[in-house]
Amino acid sequence: MSLRLKLLLLGLATLVLPWAGCNYAREMESALRSGEQTSLQAVAQTIAASLQGRSDLLYREPPPTDAPTDTAEPPAAPQPPASQTSPTAGAYDLRPIALASAPLLDGYSEDWPRDPSAWAYFRKDARHHFGLLSGVFERMLYLLLEVHDEHPLFDAPGINTLDPATFGDRIWIGFDDPQGEQQQLFLAATAPGAVTARRIESGEYGQQTAVLEPRVHGAWQPTRDGYRIELRVPLSMLGSRFGVLVDDRDARGAVPVSYGTLRSDDLHTLGRLIVADPALGSYLTQFLQPGLKLAVTTPDGRVLARADALAQSATLDAGTPLLARLYRRFVDRPGERRLLESHAPIYDRDRAAVIGRLEVTQTADRWMRLRDRALTRMLNFTVSTSLVAVIAMFAFAAWLALRLERLRRASESALTRSGIETSFPETEARDELGDVARGFATLLSRLNEYTSYLRTLAGKLAHEIRTPLTIVRSSLDNLDAEQVPEAARTYLARARQGSERLNAILLAMGAATRVEEAIGSTERVDFDLVPVLSSAIGAYRSAFAPRTFLAELPAGPVMLHGAPDLIVQALDKLIDNAVDFSPAASAITVRLLLLPEAAVIEVENPGPPLPPQLAGRLFESLWQSRADGDSRPHFGLGLYIVRLIAEFHGGTAAARNLPDGSGVGVSVRLARQQ
Amino acid sequence: MKRLVAIVEDEAAIRDNYAAAFSREGYAVRTYATRALAMSAFAARLPDLAVIDISLQDEPEGGFELCRQLRALSAELPIIFLTARDSEIDAVSGLRLGADDFLTKDLSLPHLIARVNALFRRVDALRKPAGGTGELIRRGPLSLDAERMQAQWDGKVVLLSLTEFWMVHALARHPGHVRNRQQLMDAANVVLDDNTITSHVKRIRRKFQAVDPDFDAVQTVYGMGYRWVE
Repeated sequence: MSLRLKLLLLGLATLVLPWAGCNYAREMESALRSGEQTSLQAVAQTIAASLQGRSDLLYREPPPTDAPTDTAEPPAAPQPPASQTSPTAGAYDLRPIALASAPLLDGYSEDWPRDPSAWAYFRKDARHHFGLLSGVFERMLYLLLEVHDEHPLFDAPGINTLDPATFGDRIWIGFDDPQGEQQQLFLAATAPGAVTARRIESGEYGQQTAVLEPRVHGAWQPTRDGYRIELRVPLSMLGSRFGVLVDDRDARGAVPVSYGTLRSDDLHTLGRLIVADPALGSYLTQFLQPGLKLAVTTPDGRVLARADALAQSATLDAGTPLLARLYRRFVDRPGERRLLESHAPIYDRDRAAVIGRLEVTQTADRWMRLRDRALTRMLNFTVSTSLVAVIAMFAFAAWLALRLERLRRASESALTRSGIETSFPETEARDELGDVARGFATLLSRLNEYTSYLRTLAGKLAHEIRTPLTIVRSSLDNLDAEQVPEAARTYLARARQGSERLNAILLAMGAATRVEEAIGSTERVDFDLVPVLSSAIGAYRSAFAPRTFLAELPAGPVMLHGAPDLIVQALDKLIDNAVDFSPAASAITVRLLLLPEAAVIEVENPGPPLPPQLAGRLFESLWQSRADGDSRPHFGLGLYIVRLIAEFHGGTAAARNLPDGSGVGVSVRLARQQ
Repeated sequence: MKRLVAIVEDEAAIRDNYAAAFSREGYAVRTYATRALAMSAFAARLPDLAVIDISLQDEPEGGFELCRQLRALSAELPIIFLTARDSEIDAVSGLRLGADDFLTKDLSLPHLIARVNALFRRVDALRKPAGGTGELIRRGPLSLDAERMQAQWDGKVVLLSLTEFWMVHALARHPGHVRNRQQLMDAANVVLDDNTITSHVKRIRRKFQAVDPDFDAVQTVYGMGYRWVE
């Protein structure tokens, strides 16, 4: 893992800032929410208090004093009407819900609220039952009846609707009118579609006629297992009681199976109509604000009236910046409710009984928008802070890596250049990297001292050894002059051989120093390199037979300004090496290339290639890679001398393996313009 | 009367070995370990030949100083530097101070004796009237007097050290023949490395060029050696 990546990861840790911001936003939101909740509660209690004792407003008729508790669940099996005892039994009460809009009277239920708990079910037996959904919108009572009937039967079309022979399935509605008179209307249809209620009136002479009641009308549609009737009744016609009776006939004119919330004998209502005064809705509207919904319910939760302005609140997403919406995705917990609700009981005048409940609903939009604004600002800030931190860290890491890379490169190349490079980058820096660089520089300068000590060691050693060696040799010389027994002569000869070898070693050891001195005192002359080389090659041919020498020299003169003696000396070293590392009777190539700025002498010999670890070190002092067992003294100075001579001529020396791997080529570059 | 050879050398073993060798050759030998001892003795009596080491105990350049003082006492006295130092600078400064030869200590005793003998021969020859019976080599403007070990170019004396004279002698005896380095060393009774021979040759050329700027008789045959061309 690179330093850059590590610091980048470290920089990512600053992302904890936006995270903390999100958490803070959540905290703020819940605080806001509880504040809103409190104020909403206050609103609810205020409105509820204003409605205290206003049962006239809540209910068109006096409220049920026996607040029923069992009506919360649908009445599963109402008692047959015959056994009905209490006219106030809650099971037959009609409790219309408050509708948000007027349903279209078309016999279809799609435009009704889908609220199963609002349905009331009436059941005679398995074959005879119906569901009733009632609702109030403005000043109208709407009814939706789903009647189960295995044999739906329309009236026979005819003139006299009171002729029993024409009777099919019929629906009776019965109610008190505002004056307290019992009224009954029936609905009969001869075909699907619109239907209008009729009233049975007795004439002066006792004859009965069916009179259309145009204020009560609806639609009749058959369904899969029966029929459906949608009906509208103006509330102004109604008093405090209301009931529905289904006459189910299996054949025209047959005795019907009657069931519902009217007594089947005299069609008197069994249940009350519990519905709010129409003024309640407008009363609530005055408290309405955008984003608020008010509802008054009966104590058991049936909505009497509502005023709804939730939708007037602008939707949250509209006009919200994309970024804010993105942030909200991170902050919002899934399933979080976007609505605040509160409710307060409405008491009667004496605060003795609960006559209703006020429910207040508020959209979360207001504080959500507040929160969003704060959140967006904070997240913008923290994210940009994090971004800046990450970028800064990355840049810093890149800079560090660059410096480290520079150090690394300098440390790698310090030893491979000629001598040791002691100037080191970054040593001026005042940080830890500067310390490291200074440490390196110190180390290198020490190493340099050490290396130069080593380089001069051979010369110094040669000098120091020369004196004792002289003692040995002069003693041997003297011994020669003495009378030495013949047997001892052998040892004398060996001692002399040994001292000669020592002397040769001393000469070799001092060679580099002498070359350096010679170079220092050499005068440069102008000369033609070609005859110098050809003369030298001629000498090598005779000296190193049976090896052959191929000379590739330019035809024209190659003028240089330098020391031909030194160049030949360098060539001697190269040829020595080439001969040592090539098989006997092989061909050594000496080539002179003429470049615009330099003359290049190349010596190529077949033989083992250079080991790769030698690259760049071959021309250093005291480096050698000869196989052991060579009796001649070598101190790795040969190629070092070649380098010194090349550098004296403003050039370089380099060695490489031949492309086909068959041998080694050494090239010495000599600058032509001095 | 035996010739007196003075050996100034701080290393006792070498000093005694040299002394023994010279004694065996029939010379009288006096040895001194320091410059002060040597100078006080030389003030009393000059030797016939002095062999001087350059570094003398606590005086690293004591030999040079001694040579200068000795040369002040006598212009003809043969002086040989014999030293462990083999640097070019030392050789040049030694010869410039008027030493007749500058030798490194890896020279064998027989070679040293040969040189000393040669120097004495030259002293003797110089004392004889000129135009003696000695072997004289003439190569164009060059004339080499092997007896006096003296070289002349166009009749002008070229002052060569013993080693240089022997090298010129070896080259000029067979003009046109290439003498390789080994042959030159053998002729000069020295063991030297290539660079030292090269600098000897350069010095020879320079000395002749001091007499005749057009001197070009010593030619380098690269890779082989040198030859004398007329």
